[in-house]
Amino acid sequence: MEDSLRHLWSQKLAECSSASDFKNHLLPLARIKKIIKSDEDVRMISAEAPVLFAKACELFIHELTLRAWAQTVESRRRTLQRSDVSAAIQKTDVFDFLIDIITEEELLPHQHARPTPLAFTRNGNLAE
Amino acid sequence: MPSSEESGPLPAPPPDPDPRGATDDDAMAASRRAIAHEPERFLPIANISRCMKNALPENAKISREAKELVQEATSEFISFITSESSDKCLRERRKTICGEDILYSMRTLGFEEYIGPLSAYLERFRATEQARKTERTGASGDEGPTDSDADAHEEVRVPGDLARSSTTGE
Repeated sequence: MEDSLRHLWSQKLAECSSASDFKNHLLPLARIKKIIKSDEDVRMISAEAPVLFAKACELFIHELTLRAWAQTVESRRRTLQRSDVSAAIQKTDVFDFLIDIITEEELLPHQHARPTPLAFTRNGNLAE
Repeated sequence: MPSSEESGPLPAPPPDPDPRGATDDDAMAASRRAIAHEPERFLPIANISRCMKNALPENAKISREAKELVQEATSEFISFITSESSDKCLRERRKTICGEDILYSMRTLGFEEYIGPLSAYLERFRATEQARKTERTGASGDEGPTDSDADAHEEVRVPGDLARSSTTGE
């Protein structure tokens, strides 16, 4: 999968370096703009912001999907399931910000939705 | 006795945001149902689905729930980056989130691999915009793309001033 990702980034770099059509996007700019502006702190955004986000989201979806698919293949299936996406999110550090959209039932073993409090023994050592 | 609340006529479903989204009748019907119920805080599931398919082998299938989770994750991604970009603008006392802010935020938040392709993409976009302006006015402009809001773009951006974070503060 690491090879697939490396290949992805160089492929995307080549695509982006020769991009010429900024009118047609895979993702609708108006909706992206709505999502950006749903943040109360946001005042103004340059015209390039939604365009850049459209491409960024493409990359994000592509990476998340590739990582999820690795789980699908590992389970010897050909249908990408929600649990594959959930596992990919939990196994990837940069996707930590997504932990809240994963339900309790989907948590992998040894993962916690919230950090468990540390416990200490009488003499101040960390309890196992 | 107050009369029972009368609801007005149902609002018309929003226009199909992406007519290229589906390929056959059943899929189009399902797509329309989905669009009618889709919160505006998400990107349309048809578009999400196409992006996902681009990442997968031809014969791969994707469950509806998987698409929905990716749909939700994508909105979270936008909000995550936006929030960081907005903080940066606040710190630097700027009103407008621009391309550099977004790139900077991605780097800060761990999306380093995205920077290469996105910087190239931004450069291409600005060059294309510049070329369009030059064509239209017959004079070379030195303004960056105008703000999508009514106010003029707060800062002039020169092509080539990319990927580096803003010069103020930080």
